[in-house]
Amino acid sequence: MTTGFELNEKLPTDLKKVTPFVEQVFRKILTLTRTKEEIFKIKLALEEALTNAMRHGNALNPDRHVKVQIKADRKQIILDVHDEGKGFDFQSLPDPTERDNAAKPSGRGVFLMRSIMDTVEFYDNGSGVKMIKKFS
Amino acid sequence: MGLDISIDTKENGVYVVFPKGEINTQTHQILEDRLKDIVAKARAIMFEMGGVSYISSMGLSAIFRIKLAMEERGGTIALVNMQPQVQLVFDTMKILSPQMFASLTEADDYLDKFLNGVQDGTIKPREPLE
Repeated sequence: MTTGFELNEKLPTDLKKVTPFVEQVFRKILTLTRTKEEIFKIKLALEEALTNAMRHGNALNPDRHVKVQIKADRKQIILDVHDEGKGFDFQSLPDPTERDNAAKPSGRGVFLMRSIMDTVEFYDNGSGVKMIKKFS
Repeated sequence: MGLDISIDTKENGVYVVFPKGEINTQTHQILEDRLKDIVAKARAIMFEMGGVSYISSMGLSAIFRIKLAMEERGGTIALVNMQPQVQLVFDTMKILSPQMFASLTEADDYLDKFLNGVQDGTIKPREPLE
């Protein structure tokens, strides 16, 4: 196993780029932990953050980019995803577990991220999110 | 990893869907496109989820849209045999809990009761959500 890795990427807004990038990170995470549940949660949180950044932040505008910074060692992984949108009110999202909100297109990804990561902090009015997962 | 889908007809109007792979940002549309014609005519769809190793919120949304479309026509869905990580995602979101089953037998029982209820009029189609 390696001692850690750092990754700085600027992705174009293209949903087709999400899965290949997540898979690239997934392979690097495998060098730090073999715990299936941790790997699954990190992969899911990264996909949700990237998808939100492209769909809601950058409004699928192909001229905008998503900046991703990842820093990982044997103790934890820090994922930082920043879009070029105007942000959103991350404190008043509808609860996606309520039946009436279940069909709404937003809120589910943020809810999942908050549920599966140890720390989730939005900044720059919600156009950036920093997430931390500690390895067991 | 991509997504492969095979479909069996169990009985008249009841289909069993076997997704294999990941239901994510890239593949969720494959699932919706593949089931479009079936959703328009099925009484019930059972998803045998044992081959699904990963699902994201886009995948959840796809399955939830299928559920809503089925319920608006007086149909239903059932999800069975999920891998633990996939189960965790569904459990977190709660919205499909009544339709999740550990075994095919349990799912069959649910579908039988549901379809009998539709037939005798005790279960009605649900009003569309706004």
